[in-house]
Formats: sequence, structure tokens, C-alpha cells
Amino acid sequence: MTPTKHYPMQFTGRGGEYFVIWIVNIALTLVTLGIYSAWAKVRTLRWFYGHTLLDNQAFSYLASPIQILKGRLIALAALVTYYAATYFAPMLAGLFLLALLIVMPWIVVMSLRFRARMSAYRGLRFDFTGRLGEAAVIYVLLPLLMLPTLGLILPYMAYRQVRFIASNTVYGQTAARYQGTLKPFWGVYLLAFVLMLLPLAVVAYGFFQLFQLKTAGIPAEAAGAGVAGSIGLGMLFFYLMLPVVGAMIMARTANLFYNGTALGPVGFQSSQRARSLVWIYLSNLILIALTLGLFIPWAKVRLARYRADRLTVTGPDDLGLFIAGQHQTSTATGSEMADLFDLNIGLT
Amino acid sequence: MTRFSGDLFDGVTSRAHPVTAWIEAGRLHIEGDGIALTLPLDAIGLAPPVGAARGVVHLPDARELHSTDLAALAALAQALPSRDPERWARRLESRLGYALAALLVSVLVMFAGLRWGVPAAAQLAAHTLPAGLDSRIGRESLALMEKISFQPSALPAARQQALAQQLAARCRQQACPPYRLLFRHSPMFGANALTLPGGTVVVTDALVDLAQHDEEILAVLAHELGHVQHRHSLRLALQGIGAGAILVAVTGDIGSVTDLAAGLPSLLLQSGYSRDMEREADAYALAWLNAACIPPQRFADLLGRLDKKSSGTPSLLGSHPGTQERTGPFQVAGDCT
Repeated sequence: MTPTKHYPMQFTGRGGEYFVIWIVNIALTLVTLGIYSAWAKVRTLRWFYGHTLLDNQAFSYLASPIQILKGRLIALAALVTYYAATYFAPMLAGLFLLALLIVMPWIVVMSLRFRARMSAYRGLRFDFTGRLGEAAVIYVLLPLLMLPTLGLILPYMAYRQVRFIASNTVYGQTAARYQGTLKPFWGVYLLAFVLMLLPLAVVAYGFFQLFQLKTAGIPAEAAGAGVAGSIGLGMLFFYLMLPVVGAMIMARTANLFYNGTALGPVGFQSSQRARSLVWIYLSNLILIALTLGLFIPWAKVRLARYRADRLTVTGPDDLGLFIAGQHQTSTATGSEMADLFDLNIGLT
Repeated sequence: MTRFSGDLFDGVTSRAHPVTAWIEAGRLHIEGDGIALTLPLDAIGLAPPVGAARGVVHLPDARELHSTDLAALAALAQALPSRDPERWARRLESRLGYALAALLVSVLVMFAGLRWGVPAAAQLAAHTLPAGLDSRIGRESLALMEKISFQPSALPAARQQALAQQLAARCRQQACPPYRLLFRHSPMFGANALTLPGGTVVVTDALVDLAQHDEEILAVLAHELGHVQHRHSLRLALQGIGAGAILVAVTGDIGSVTDLAAGLPSLLLQSGYSRDMEREADAYALAWLNAACIPPQRFADLLGRLDKKSSGTPSLLGSHPGTQERTGPFQVAGDCT
């Protein structure tokens, strides 16, 4: 067995540096009526990739703005059609959503493939080899089972998504393997369920009191005023709990993703903590609101830095042993569709 | 040009080869342990540098040269024959003053686009879209409101008919847009009148009761006909889409964290849009009343009474400009000819 070395992931970008890039991107996007947004996206990703270091080598983003622009135009046409349909002919919008459901696996696979192929490290590209059939099961069939199974399918779905993305990622010629199991995903979602039950319990207690007061003969209005406090508190608690649970799921899923993945001789150790992520999200949100959005660049940098800080790569003494795969082209359409329709694919 | 150091990747393995590179006589030279490359400048591509992030030089055969020497890479970019469109962005990013100017431009363009660009585009679109479209939307929204906020009118049928006939008579004498007049009882809307897409005008019983003269009701109807004439309901819907599109274009790259913040301005804008439309409808009403020989004062009278009555209750004044400001033009003797 070769000795293992630890390579910490580093993010060296600074908020102030990104602010300038960000604001220039926005200004140029606005004055070019959105056309520049493709260049803006590429510059942004090149900046983030170029500041993400592993073993003192940066990642690189290879897509050309023209590729992104073409994808965006196609996706925009689809989005405009969808908007027009929902406003003016709800029936058509339903058909459109059905069509979207059918092409969804294709969008998912194209998007993941595009992102992988446009990412490189040490001169070798990544690739994604996921198949349409599996994507259809994971992104269409399993979500449709959510309702009939009362959400019990959720941990399995999350597990399959993580496995799909991880085990189909290829670096050069080296295919990744996913060795994680389903069990820890149950833990994540059970914890989420319990956390969401807490505020609901407060609300339920309020209604129980209301019922008691009413049966005791107190007029409905007076009884309502008496318990409005605990019901309102419960609702507030519920809305505060949503981002907390969201961040918890994200942190744990990211850990399960990286810790279960192996790329040839290379392994990953991710140790994101739910409470740190909750703090970053909430404080970012507050600061963005207070600065009317000007804090956004710093917020993104903070998040990128935290994620990098919590990721360590374990591998042999020399990371120069990987071999290149075949170079292929990929179109940006799927990726841009996914962006515009706000589909959350993978783990950002 | 001075020499700069970097790592060469051969595109075959992930091994980094430390090299030194320089430009001489229009060619890029790369030298390292067992490496000696000479490449014509038009065969290499530089991923335009962003900020202080590391730069990548793309060489033929999928080889890459990485360097942290940003000054050298900038000089290399200058020497390359191909003009890279991102050099403008890089220049703007180079000074804080330019960045602040970019901030100012962003805010101004966004404001102007939302304030004037979107309404103008919506107006154009509303007049190009087929008329059947708003009738269909109008039918659907009426069906919904009949369920949740309207009850049948308690006014005697004769009274309803008399008012409808008065309006019809005026509309025979002067041009009116095609409309459909309905009377409804609605505790939710109070004394109010509303126009739905497609020209359906709904007047509440409370408004008819509040009026002390039939001409006051006709004055309100003239205002609503102004909304019909300018297809305001459809334009409002289109403006919602337009404003949404601008906000998505700006915040699209930013992510969901800002969705909350983005929703608020669009709400404020919507109320701003509807104020402009009220002014347009008022202008239409004034001209209409003059043509119909109804003293414009009638409109001011009814608005004044509504204003007094609606201390705290929601009414059509909610999204309207201040009553004082609005009734000014109506407090004149009509120029009936």
C-alpha cells in the first residue's frame, strides 16, 4: 500500500477582488441587454476555478462564452414559451411541463456532462458518463413516487442522486467509484423530519389548547386570542427552521458525497458542519439585505472558502499519475436549460 | 519580454513539468527539463485572466501552460494576434473608479429599464397581441372572482338597466372601446369599480349607493373605460413578466439567496406601474366627460367622498395617486361644446 498524503483544498479568492469582477459583469450584461451574461458566467467560473487550489495547482474552466451564449438562447426561448403559456393558456403550460418532464433526464445528463467536460485539473479534463435511463429513474420516476410513499422515498432518492453523480464522474481515464451506502441518508432525513416536527408540535399544542378552551365553553374569539401567541410562535419557529434544515441536509449530503467517493488511488474527506453552514447562510442573507445586494460577492466567496477549507484529498505522494481520456465536445444547451429552470442538479 | 516560470501539462498525464517561458521573435519559447518548445503565437490561446486567479495558456495538442505570474500573462495577452473581447472587462476591473462607475451604470440602467423600458415594451406587446387573448384571461379571472369575492347585485334590475342604458347612450354619441358592464355586491372591495382584461367593467353596489348623482357613476365608468381603452390589465400582466425577466437577468448568476431581496422591488414597481395607469385612465376620463357634456367636477366629488369614507378600509384609492393631486384637473368647468 502506498503511503497516503493529505492535500487540503484551498480557496484563495478575496471578496473585494470578486466584487469588482461581479459589478463589471452586471454592468456589461445590462448595457448589452443580457448578451454579455455568457462572458460574465465564464469569467466568474474561471475566477472561482483559478482560485481553487489542490496541491498548489489550480482548476481550470474551459468553456467558451459562445458555447454558453448558444445554450442560453435556446434555454431562453424555452423559458419564454413556458412563461407565455402559463399566462395565456394554462392548459398549454401543463403540456409544456409534461414535455419538460420527458426531456428532463436529457437535460440532467447534458448539464452534468457539460460541467464535467469543461472542468480540468493539471491539464486533464473531467467527464461524466451517466446514462439517460438511470437519470430518468432518479430525476423523474423517483420524484413521482414521493406522494404515494409519503416522502419515504426521499432518502433513497438522495442516495441514488449522489451515487449517480459520483460514480459516473471520470478524471482523465480514471473513473470514480462510489462506496457510500443508503443507511446514512436515512439518518440525514430522519433528523430533518424530527427538526421539522418541533415547530409543528408547538402549533399543534396551540390548536389543542384552542380545542380545550372551546369545549370548556369559552367563546371562540376569546379562545382564539388566548392561543394565537403559541400558534404564531410555532409558525415563526417553522420558518426559521426551514433554512436550518436545508443547510443541515446540504452539509451532510456533501460529506456523504465526498467521503464515499474514490478516484483511483485518491480519496476525499469532507467535514462540513451543519451549524457552520447555517451561520454562513443566515449571516449572508442578513448582510445582503442590509447592503441592498452589494455583499453578494463576499457571500459567495465566504461559502466557497468554507467548502474548500472543509475538503481534504488523500492520495499518493504524487498526483501526476493520472492519464488523459479521449477529448470530446459537449454542448451547453442542457446545462443552461437546467440553470434557467432552476433545477438543482448535483451539489454546488 | 522577460522570462516567466510556470508549469507545463502535456495533456497526456497529470504531471506538472516546471518550465520557463518567454516570447522571442514572435514565437513562444518554453524550456524545462527535457522540454524545448517553440510555438508560433497564432497557435496558442490564452484564457483571458480574471482577477488574480491563475492564468492558463492553451497550447496545441491539449497542452496547457499554467502560471502565477500575472504581469507576464498580461504581457503575453498583449503580444497575441487575436483580439480578445474580454479586454474591455479587464480594463474596467483594473481600477476601483471604473468599478464604481459600473455600479452606477448598473443601478441607472436597471432603474430606467424597469421604470420606462418595461412599460413601453408591454404597451407595444399589448397592442400587437390578439384581442381574443385578453377576453379569455378576463373570462377566467371573472369566473374566479365570482367564486371568491363577488355576490349577485342587490340593486333593482330597473336601476341596473337604467345606468347601463345611460352609458350605452353616451357611447352612441362618442367612441368607446368595446366593454361589458356588470353590477356586483362585494364586501371585499367595498365602494369600487374594476376593469378586467377584455373590457369587463365591474361596479359594486356600494359605489352606486355612494354616488349622489348618476353622472358621478358615469364619471367613474369613464375612468374604467380608460383602462379598457389602454388595455391596462394585460399590460400589467406583461410588465410583471418583463420586470421578472430583468431581475432574473441580473440576479440569475447569483443564486437563490437573493430571491427574497429580488421579490420586494418588483412588488414596489408593480404599484408604481399601476399609478401611471391611473393617470392615463384619468386623462381619458377627463376628455370623455367633456365630450359627453358631463361636468368633470362629478368625478372629483365622488373621489372626495370615497376618500373620506375609506379611512383605513381598502378601496380603489389604495394603489391610486393622492386624491388631491388627482382631482385637481377635474375641478374645472367642463368645456362642453
